[in-house]
Amino acid sequence: MGAASICMALAIVGQSYLVVTVIQKLFLNNAAFPSILPAVFILIGMLLLRTIFQYMIKGSGIKMAQIAKVSIRKKLLQHFNGQQMTDADKGQSGQKTSLFMDTVDEIDGYFSQYLPQLIQSAGIVLIVWIVIFIQNWTSGLIILISAPFIPIFMMIIGVKTKDKSKEQLSQLAAFSGTFLDTLQGLPTVKLFGQSDGQRNKINQDSTSFRDATMGVLKVAFTNSLSLEFISMLSIGLIALEIAIRMIIFQNLSFFSGFFVLLLAPELFSQLKQLGSAFHSGRASMGAASRVEDVLKEETKPVSWGTVPLKSDKAPEIILEQASFHYEQGRFRLEPASMTISPYEQVAIIGKTGAGKSTLLGLLAGFLPAEDGKFLIDGIPQEKVQKADWFQRISYLTQQPYVFSGTVRENILLGSLEKQSDQEIREVADRAGIWDWISDLPFGLDTIIGEGGRGLSGGEKQRIAIARTLLKKPQILFFDEPTTGLDIQTEHILQRSLDSLKNQATMVTVAHRLHTVRNADKIFLLDQGKIAGEGTHNELYKNNKMYQQMINTQQGGREA
Amino acid sequence: MKDISLVLKMMLKEKKDILFSVFFGFLAGITAVSLFAASGYLISQAAFAPPIYTLMILVASVKLLGITSAISRYGERYFSHRGTFTILKNIRLKVYDQIEPLASRLLQKYRSGDILARIVGDVESLQHFFLRVFYPPIVLAAVFIATIFFTMYISAGVALTMSAGMIVVLIVFPAIFYMIQKKAALSMREKRGVLSSEFTDYLYGFRELTIFQQAERKEQQLFDEMNQYEEMKASENRQLAIREAIVIFFSFFIAIIILVQAGFYVAEGNLAGTLLAMLFMIAITVFEDTPSMAVLPAHLEESKSSSKRLIEVWENEEPSKVAVQELEPDLPLHFDFKDVFIQYPNEKKPAVQHASLQIKPGKNIAIVGPSGSGKSTLMQALLTFAPVKSGHILVNGEDINTIAPDSLWEQMNVSLQHNHFFYGSIYENLRFANRNASAEICRDALEKVQLTHFSLEDQVLEKGTNLSGGEKQRLALARLFLREASIWLLDEPTSSLDSITEQQIMNEIEKVTKYQTVVTIRHRLTGLESMDRIIVMNQGEIVEQGTYTELMGKENGYFKAMKELESQQLAF
Repeated sequence: MGAASICMALAIVGQSYLVVTVIQKLFLNNAAFPSILPAVFILIGMLLLRTIFQYMIKGSGIKMAQIAKVSIRKKLLQHFNGQQMTDADKGQSGQKTSLFMDTVDEIDGYFSQYLPQLIQSAGIVLIVWIVIFIQNWTSGLIILISAPFIPIFMMIIGVKTKDKSKEQLSQLAAFSGTFLDTLQGLPTVKLFGQSDGQRNKINQDSTSFRDATMGVLKVAFTNSLSLEFISMLSIGLIALEIAIRMIIFQNLSFFSGFFVLLLAPELFSQLKQLGSAFHSGRASMGAASRVEDVLKEETKPVSWGTVPLKSDKAPEIILEQASFHYEQGRFRLEPASMTISPYEQVAIIGKTGAGKSTLLGLLAGFLPAEDGKFLIDGIPQEKVQKADWFQRISYLTQQPYVFSGTVRENILLGSLEKQSDQEIREVADRAGIWDWISDLPFGLDTIIGEGGRGLSGGEKQRIAIARTLLKKPQILFFDEPTTGLDIQTEHILQRSLDSLKNQATMVTVAHRLHTVRNADKIFLLDQGKIAGEGTHNELYKNNKMYQQMINTQQGGREA
Repeated sequence: MKDISLVLKMMLKEKKDILFSVFFGFLAGITAVSLFAASGYLISQAAFAPPIYTLMILVASVKLLGITSAISRYGERYFSHRGTFTILKNIRLKVYDQIEPLASRLLQKYRSGDILARIVGDVESLQHFFLRVFYPPIVLAAVFIATIFFTMYISAGVALTMSAGMIVVLIVFPAIFYMIQKKAALSMREKRGVLSSEFTDYLYGFRELTIFQQAERKEQQLFDEMNQYEEMKASENRQLAIREAIVIFFSFFIAIIILVQAGFYVAEGNLAGTLLAMLFMIAITVFEDTPSMAVLPAHLEESKSSSKRLIEVWENEEPSKVAVQELEPDLPLHFDFKDVFIQYPNEKKPAVQHASLQIKPGKNIAIVGPSGSGKSTLMQALLTFAPVKSGHILVNGEDINTIAPDSLWEQMNVSLQHNHFFYGSIYENLRFANRNASAEICRDALEKVQLTHFSLEDQVLEKGTNLSGGEKQRLALARLFLREASIWLLDEPTSSLDSITEQQIMNEIEKVTKYQTVVTIRHRLTGLESMDRIIVMNQGEIVEQGTYTELMGKENGYFKAMKELESQQLAF
């Protein structure tokens, strides 16, 4: 890029030199017309070179931007991987998508515009200035004194407005979102009879959006106005100085004078272009610093090892004094110990916020245990092979994710091998969703998920269960999968899950009395601590809190 | 032209800013040309050692032109940007006016919110039309024409060359680029959409992907998508850079042609030598701003497709029948469904069929049934939000389609399954229901729904993303306490709340709705004993209706079976 920039500068010098030569020959030397033609052809060649080199600089800037964006996106992905396994940060997924797409796209400008322009300007300004200085040292001196004002001025204005415009720009982003907000809320707007009010609001918001943006832009425009003035003043001075030397002192040739007069604007136009590229560069740097802020956030990925899990039966899982706390928020899971034998039916119960989901995340290997131990078949979790573990488990939540793709693809997620439609049909049938699928316009090939057909909670849940049935896991984790579903859907789900009972260990954050009653073991959680452990009968006899919970619920039943 | 008519119309409303932009743009361009012409002339004159005063005049005019040019450039930028944002405002209002009456029908058509995001994106991209497509060619052409006129006095031949150059740069190049451009923009947009949804899938579905051991495959897929997208983007940028290079080369080339041509005239003695430098300087400067023509086609294509998509949103909607009949505000509402059949576009099965029921004033009615059985659709029909294909819905004996929806909604207090909240404070969101509600009344409403941990000044983010499901439901109900209505329509208003809070809030609602009609969709079958009527739905049909005792008394009744199922699974 640097070389291309020097070559471009030389082409510019050559171009001006040839132009002056041609004019000099025709105008002062009264040369015959054909004598200038060779110079004209070289001139066109120079022009071609200039354009090619300029394109090369731009092209490598584009390439740099491409490489940079890909590598930033990769880094972001790796970062998100480290913190993805819990529900805790799901709410911010929209922001993450916008960071991944929009913010990274914004960084483009720094590499594709600012950097190439910087290198191009640096090369051209330097070479052109040297040529001017050699041709006419006084002009060189004028430029040397006036040109530095441009970057200095830029910096002063930049520093003064940086914080202000940054703050303003983020406000503006919020502003422009209100239009979408209003459109999305149109039913609400209409139901509350606020159509006119919202129209006014759009009008007002747009007007103040305009005024605020103009405030920021005015700074930028004033900036370029002053740059324009400086270069104008400088070129004017040079013209005056050349004229004086040519006429009064008569110690400068027409050739040198015209040559300098052609080169000086090239030099200043490079500085001006750098000035405007600086603005877009700064916006890019803002985007880059936002990405950096995210990358700086600490992640606590779960580490895995290389020891394979041997047995064909469900592994035994043991927690010994394992604890966990989230970066944000005060919640803390106190050191917990529990043993879950193969094919046991385990229920975890407790009030909202008692830490049930956190404990489940720990058991499923989504969260790293702090202190204490987590043993899988006697092997510490961090030594176990990741693939071996996840091959054996399945996890169902209230909000299973449906990928954008066909119904078939979504169910096949549960299997690493090829499966016939017959098998898909069988699991779909057991999950109680086959009737729904066969009613779809394209059956198994119907596109669902984002951008496709929307699914209700119950439908999603059943797709997730079909996946699980296809996978045939050895351990199943349930995080209240039936909350918010109607009785019938829940009944279907319960039935299909019960069919897995003898083939897998089941750990359920329970919500329903009958799940709890039938469990082999119940863990009662209270404020991050295990406050009781045993069967329904044992706990009902010995644990006050459990008694209370059961009694309140039965009392609260309106019949 | 039709495609772009929307933005053109909205733009032409801002005549003042357009005129100022064009005027200052022209002034800036023409003074720049004059400036360089003068300096070319100056240097040539200087070679002959002219009297000092000619020199002074020239230098002074150079200065003056320079200052005028810089200030005009400022004015041009200022007015063109101000105009742009005013145009953006006009387009937003226009789009709002068009979409507002269609809201319910659009929602029937597109159940997801994507279309709205698309609309907003299209509106935003239209703002570039004026700035990058419309006025730059006008300014350029004006400067060219003025310059060509001036040049004609010096040399008609040069003026002719210049005109030819102008035609190539302003018309031929953009036309060719535009034709090449057409395909590229679309696939780029699609690719971006694919990448974005791949990423969303990966991010939201990461746990599922890990468990099903598909994370690496998906990650690889995402990387490939990413590389392809960036490759496309880079090649698009390279395309633009090539076009720009072509225009730049051509501009210089024309300047050289003019130099040679003028040089020929000088050599032949048909032109004064002092004018040679000046003509060259004029040519160089007048073509200086033309690279912007290289990017124009891309912006034009974008504006065109955005404008087209926007118009399509409302153009294909048949004009709605004028529903003007106002309901009498004090008359209680009586709804009568007669064999109503509702089917959403692109669905095989009807959402609701053979639905006949009555909602009498002052009654307490529950709608129950499994998910997907058509409960919400029935309620949407009451709000005129559902596509009723056959059958009739009568309101106080009049067909619902003839009634002005506003007068209907005015009497309703509605909590939808997904309630919308606006960016702003809790207070603003509450007062949305009633502009005159005082702070005290609002606080009282918050208390009724047990949201006292919020202050009125607390901020609600867009779509209420910073509220939990239960908080959203309660805030939606709080709004209703501020508003008088004769009928309350509640779609699973408390499904995210625990049973104790649920009961307390329902009691509060009961207190204020003693004489009102209340229609509630329930996902649980508890607390239905006191209902005046229970409507039981399954697979789009009303299978049973009656009071709790009536339904429980039915042998093999559907409701009874469901109720028994529930008792087995009693919730914690």
